[in-house]
Amino acid sequence: MKRAAAIITALVLVGGLVFVLGRAFGTDPHAVPFKMAGKAAPNFNIKRLDTDEIVSLASFKGRPIVLNFWATWCGPCKVEHPVLDWAASKYGNDVVFLGIVFEDTEDNTKRFLKENGWSFPQLFDPKSTVAVDYGVSGVPETYFINRAGLIVKKYPYPFQHPSQFEHEIQEIL
Amino acid sequence: MIALLLSLVLAQGYAPPRQGQDPLDAEREARVQRVGKLLRCAVCQGVSIADSPASMARAQLDKVRELVTEGKSDDEIFDYFVDRYGQWALMEPRKSGVALAVWVAPVLMLVVGLLLVLGSMKKPVKAVAPADAPAEDDYLAQVKKDLGQ
Amino acid sequence: MNSTLGYGLVLLGLLCAAFAAIVGIVTGLMRKESALPWVQRGIYGYAAAMVGSNLVMVGALLQHDFSVKYVSQVGSRSTPTIFTIVSLWSALEGSILFWGAIMGLYLFAFAFIYRREHGRYMQLSLGVMAAVATFFAFLIAGPANPWVHVPNPLADGPGPNPLLQNHPLMIIHPPMLYLGYVGMTIPFGIAAGALLRGELGDAWLVPLRKWTLVPWIFLTIGIILGSWWAYAVLGWGGYWAWDPVENASFMPWLTATAFMHSTMVLEKKKALKLWTIALALASFVLTIVGTFMTRSGVFNSVHSFTQSDIGPTFLVFIGVLLVFSVLLVALRGHMLVAETQLGGIVSREGSILLNNLVFAGLTFVVLLGTLFPLISEGVFNEKLTVGEPYFNKMALPLGMVMLFLMGVGPMLPWGQADTKTLINTAIIPGGVGVVTSLVCFAFGYRGFMPLTTFGLAAFVTVVTLRELLLPAQQRMAEQKESLTTAIFVSASRARRRFGGYVVHLGIVAIVVAIAASSAYKVHSTGTLKPGASLKVGDYDVRFDGLERGKEPHREWIAANMTIVSPGGSESKHHGSNAPRMNFYERSTDPVGSPAVSERVLRDVYVSLLSYDTASGSASFNMWVFPLVGWIWYAIPLLALGTLIALWPQRRRQQVAAEAK
Repeated sequence: MKRAAAIITALVLVGGLVFVLGRAFGTDPHAVPFKMAGKAAPNFNIKRLDTDEIVSLASFKGRPIVLNFWATWCGPCKVEHPVLDWAASKYGNDVVFLGIVFEDTEDNTKRFLKENGWSFPQLFDPKSTVAVDYGVSGVPETYFINRAGLIVKKYPYPFQHPSQFEHEIQEIL
Repeated sequence: MIALLLSLVLAQGYAPPRQGQDPLDAEREARVQRVGKLLRCAVCQGVSIADSPASMARAQLDKVRELVTEGKSDDEIFDYFVDRYGQWALMEPRKSGVALAVWVAPVLMLVVGLLLVLGSMKKPVKAVAPADAPAEDDYLAQVKKDLGQ
Repeated sequence: MNSTLGYGLVLLGLLCAAFAAIVGIVTGLMRKESALPWVQRGIYGYAAAMVGSNLVMVGALLQHDFSVKYVSQVGSRSTPTIFTIVSLWSALEGSILFWGAIMGLYLFAFAFIYRREHGRYMQLSLGVMAAVATFFAFLIAGPANPWVHVPNPLADGPGPNPLLQNHPLMIIHPPMLYLGYVGMTIPFGIAAGALLRGELGDAWLVPLRKWTLVPWIFLTIGIILGSWWAYAVLGWGGYWAWDPVENASFMPWLTATAFMHSTMVLEKKKALKLWTIALALASFVLTIVGTFMTRSGVFNSVHSFTQSDIGPTFLVFIGVLLVFSVLLVALRGHMLVAETQLGGIVSREGSILLNNLVFAGLTFVVLLGTLFPLISEGVFNEKLTVGEPYFNKMALPLGMVMLFLMGVGPMLPWGQADTKTLINTAIIPGGVGVVTSLVCFAFGYRGFMPLTTFGLAAFVTVVTLRELLLPAQQRMAEQKESLTTAIFVSASRARRRFGGYVVHLGIVAIVVAIAASSAYKVHSTGTLKPGASLKVGDYDVRFDGLERGKEPHREWIAANMTIVSPGGSESKHHGSNAPRMNFYERSTDPVGSPAVSERVLRDVYVSLLSYDTASGSASFNMWVFPLVGWIWYAIPLLALGTLIALWPQRRRQQVAAEAK
């Protein structure tokens, strides 16, 4: 009787171990959790690359905001470039679009923008302080901020198709 | 074990290495490094922001410097990162909630094990007759025996 | 051509292994001992096929035959030849293939050495080992097949993982670990065979012990080399980060070490049989769990170079192994009963039991800490981290207890200690320990943990040296032998004991090195313009400017620097000796490599964080690590001790007989 109990306990433990290891297959070990959803978007005052004027998040109070963190050396960022251009032209009247370049040099970025052009303002985060404040954990990442100034969510992948963006932006409109 | 230089997820090009801030004065910098050791780098593979050479980790360490300069307590600094990344940001789990198990279970296991070990040993008998104890180390006895040959 | 031949050999190996497994286990359970030669033949066939398949792969790599899938993944015409050969184990499929060959060699060696042994002991054991070999051959033939034929091969490939090309240590570190991991199959087979048979006599015990010691030393060397590699290559100034993959190699090491100690109680007292057998089983299961951790892509680690679909297959195997082991222990364990009563806690067996408890405790800590993030996420849906600080906090006190037991254990007699004798034997080593701590304190070293560690280390050293030399001293006194003869003869009279104590000395060196290098390291960081210096400890590091270089397989930027010692002597680290960032064609991120100026008493360690070609300045992380090199310098001592313990006893008896 006692032995049967011991065997069952051991087998339950084995089952638990295998279950836990098995569960892990579905998850990405590199995924970084994001807890800023629902919190107020941290303010920042950083330079706009084309005009050199200081842009403050607070100045857009009351309007929904799309914040796109990217860098010139990041391949997928180039992939989503046309999608974001399209989105800015479609929603630009209502929604504020801002690009934030981090982990990059000003020269690289200016050259890149000259060659490719961007339809919405691009800001430069020289020491990645804004990225740290927002809890960025990769490139590119896009944050959606609602009219109340709260971060609704972030999209930690490149937008490959306009429909993806359409789907994500609904919540802040 | 280590973050390669910059392992930002999805990175395809390579990020220009950026120089971090200069360290603070010795006393405050020691605190920065100690706290940095306990915070997990957001873009690396399980390394703290004090250990990682990644550029983003230096940005995070600069944030710790900023918070230290503002006079924030250790817990306030931890909270800043937990607000962003959850408990994941802490290199060692807090001693509360689910994570308490990871601190308590080994201690329990050791206590139970110790009881089992003690239980399997003969109880120490007080005032053992000296003759009862083995007179000599068996190894030395063996040596003696060899020499006797 | 290569694909067909290589894959054919794998299939042949699979057939042979499966044959040996079935025949071995079935006839073993039926107690038909006449079938043993067939089991042996199957194993020989498996070994030959696997080694053959590996040779074909090395040939394909050297020929740059990109029609083989594996070669097309890791081969490149610009890679130096030595790294081309090494790339056999630089990615998943190749390393599993290599694994198969090592398994073949181990099984061959074991089956051949014990070929005259009675079937009663061998058949079931060989059968179980062959079953494990079958699993790996199946992996190679199916989910991790390196031999897939590429129809339209490219002219060149990407080359192996740049991290592996960065340092010569990477050539020997993985094979050492594999030799350690794979070798645990042998004690597993022996132990499982003994349990299936329901008896554990001395005839099982000797091979069980010896064949645990062989993988143990490889595992030990593999782990130390791995930490050396991490230290010399990765540039973060550490050698051990409690990363899941490091933990995976550490756990079987812990259980195997515990096994080595409990086996003494088993021999002497005919007790702890089941526990010892369970440790042998656990060591093997943990190597498989470790391989799973490395290869499944479930863990976030720099070592998970490859993520593939072998994970689920492995998980099934782990499940089968665990259930098999549990049932075996539960259903057959009662047949292994203790034959004598253990003594009191203050005795040799008491100290070994405590040692086993601490080792088991540490294994539990490492296992729990490594798995807890998965448990937390899978069950409670909360992602959290269990990192280096946790493991350090838990391991430190346990390590101190181990060190203490390492000194106390050898002093205690079996059975029951007599207090008076005990005090007499303890007084000198204890005194030396206390004095050592005080002297370190007087020289300005502070901190409870490091000073206690030094004191304990001195205590253990004195006890161990006394145990090593006392018999020799007696021989010198009574036989008038010279010192060397006396040591040699007394050592050969008790090889295992002598070897064990030599290994203990190596462990003490490692413990001191860990304590000193972590407690008294000095760190500096800063950005320097050319010509400027940064002070780190007593050293000045002068930055001499940036330099660019090119090699066939990489380009690099080096931050040339000169280390100025307190005495004023300068050592230049320029070009390939300077801290660098390496750019590999295949890799998009630069791979940093630090400059380490290794000295006996301390290392000066400089790594390049970033550089600015416009201003010519560079940022550095610098450390001075006292004594850190002793961790790796201890390898020869550990290997020597193990060799002494493993050296066949028979030869000595022959020599002794001839001498008479």
